[in-house]
Amino acid sequence: MNTRKLLTQLSKIEDGLDQFSFEELSASEASDLKKTFESFKNGLESKVFGENNAETVIVGNTEHPKITTAQTESSLIANVSHEIRTPLNGIVGFIDLLQETKLTKEQQELVKALGLASNNLMVIINELLEFSKLSSGKESFISTEFNLKNLLNELSYLSKTLIVNKNIKFNLNIDRNIPEIIIGDPSKLSQVLLNLLGNAVKFVEKGEINFTVSLKSIATNELLLGFDISDTGIGIAKDKLEKIFDSYQQAEMDTHVKYGGSGLGLSIVKEIVEQLKGKIAVSSSLGHGTTFKLEIPYEKATQKAKQPKEKEIAKIDNTKALAGMTVLVFEDNLLNQKLITSRLQNWGCKTVITDNGLYGLKILENHKIDVVLMDLRMPGMTGFEITKQIRNNSKKSIKNTQIIALSADFSTSDKELFKTLGINDFILKPFIPDNLLEKIINSKNRKMTGQESKIQIMDPISKTNTVANELNLDEVLEDCMGQIELLDELVQLFKKNILEFIGKTKIHLLNDDFEGVGFTAHKIKSGLRMFKLNSLIETCEQMSLVCKSNKDIKHLNFLYEEFLKEYESIEPKIELEIQRIKTK
Amino acid sequence: MKKLQILLAEDDDMLASLLNYRLEKGGYDVVLKNDGKEVKNWLNESLPDIIVSDIMMPYFSGIELVDYIRNELKSTIPIILISSASNEENVLSAFEMGANDFISKPVSPSELLVRVSREISRID
Repeated sequence: MNTRKLLTQLSKIEDGLDQFSFEELSASEASDLKKTFESFKNGLESKVFGENNAETVIVGNTEHPKITTAQTESSLIANVSHEIRTPLNGIVGFIDLLQETKLTKEQQELVKALGLASNNLMVIINELLEFSKLSSGKESFISTEFNLKNLLNELSYLSKTLIVNKNIKFNLNIDRNIPEIIIGDPSKLSQVLLNLLGNAVKFVEKGEINFTVSLKSIATNELLLGFDISDTGIGIAKDKLEKIFDSYQQAEMDTHVKYGGSGLGLSIVKEIVEQLKGKIAVSSSLGHGTTFKLEIPYEKATQKAKQPKEKEIAKIDNTKALAGMTVLVFEDNLLNQKLITSRLQNWGCKTVITDNGLYGLKILENHKIDVVLMDLRMPGMTGFEITKQIRNNSKKSIKNTQIIALSADFSTSDKELFKTLGINDFILKPFIPDNLLEKIINSKNRKMTGQESKIQIMDPISKTNTVANELNLDEVLEDCMGQIELLDELVQLFKKNILEFIGKTKIHLLNDDFEGVGFTAHKIKSGLRMFKLNSLIETCEQMSLVCKSNKDIKHLNFLYEEFLKEYESIEPKIELEIQRIKTK
Repeated sequence: MKKLQILLAEDDDMLASLLNYRLEKGGYDVVLKNDGKEVKNWLNESLPDIIVSDIMMPYFSGIELVDYIRNELKSTIPIILISSASNEENVLSAFEMGANDFISKPVSPSELLVRVSREISRID
């Protein structure tokens, strides 16, 4: 194990060297240094992963397709994967360009086939890469507090969006005794569950999918959770079932043809579960369905975080838990603004809401603010910049203001990073009110200022901001010849399509499937156009563009979040607009 | 008098139901198909009086459809294509293959009705 750690360290150093400007070394010296380094690393690798090194496997195994041990496999793949991916990206890109040139019909067909094949290859390579990263221990796992219920709800929401067109019932059951906040790796958990749920959705034509989460055991610091996903799908034959978690196995060869995939999905799931120190089992009966059972241990959230929460819940009902406090909120989404204001006011505290960094900083100068809630993703000055300015302020009272960050992104939930930036705490969106209350109370306790602060009366900023997406369905109604029933039908279809878009795009994003994202983004545009939702159209167009050009997954994720945010604020307006038209 | 039959090939369900409604209101018998494969299968059984088809469709594009109708089925029934801004170039090749007219997205149902009746009036 120590050797492997050393190897990880060395890889890091090597990466660092790539970026180092070898100013003081001559070019040849530098390259010698690098070569020495690499041979050292390769030597170590062969010690760790066995003598059966890369070359022997590539050439030697062509006659015996059965692959040797998983470890040799993964060290090989880890070493060559990037080299495969780079030219493949080039191929995919040039095929795109080729498609845009003047081609005969026959050539078009051929290029289309080329594109399809190379995209399939890309999917397989991505899966291989992930698998090899996992089994060679190069994949990093995090341990952080997260809200299990929120995560499960999000997954079940996603699954439901994938079955809107099918006759499938989706049931989610969560054991009530499971604590809401636990410690572990939330993104790995969602990856595993999404994969299994995705399989269930793929293989079930009709019937139901049951997703049950139970508490297997609980100790002082640990708890063991059981996740059961059962479906009424096609099922898997006994002899195939035994091999289901092996790499390169799918139940039937023709399953591959019908449902796609490299067959590595379940091997990846198994690897992740094992590295989470969990267990996975499967049972199935042909024609009746399949059940996957997972057991994964998690740490309990710290006593500190849990204890005050239970107390406060009781408090909310009768007292104004935050009476006397003033909270400054940086948030640009109107709907969220309203939501937060009403919550905070219920708890008896004063609120100032703004989406403008400079304005907020001025408020801090002139008023006594107890806690700042900060959406990290704001137009103009970002939450990080505002935080920096607050922490660099010369006035101690401003400099030491408690800052709680609001973020919808799991990947940014890295507490350490937040701390170095000067953010005291964070909460994931969409947040549960009690969690927010708990965080604010904690921040008050952290502050430890004994002095009674003079409370200023401030009206929340009333925003007369008209939203860019003014929705007017009069023209659509005209197209419907004034038939409200038809308009209603269109609105229902629109919502269904949006749900589908949200779900499918999320899956495509998780799979780095750019073609998929490009297709869904293109498809949703026509409905958006009908309702003249221009800013959403623009977001979709940008998504399509990124899929065609630089294929930057981070940018895509950002645009996707933007879309969700915007749609969230538009959806209630659709209802209002329908009401307006009906009462006209 | 027997109603004239329109084959409407459109994979976008919102646009499909809007156009379906307007064409039916306009006095046509509408057969709605959601993808190119469905269209092709249906055409092997019967021929409508006029076809309105989206260019971008799964399995079988509007252009391929024009080609199939003119060259395989050897039929001269009017074909109106629905194109989006991104495939306007394809419209040219569709005309070359024998499409009669096209209408750009976002489609105005009233305009489509006018174009349909114009094509119908040209049939003897």
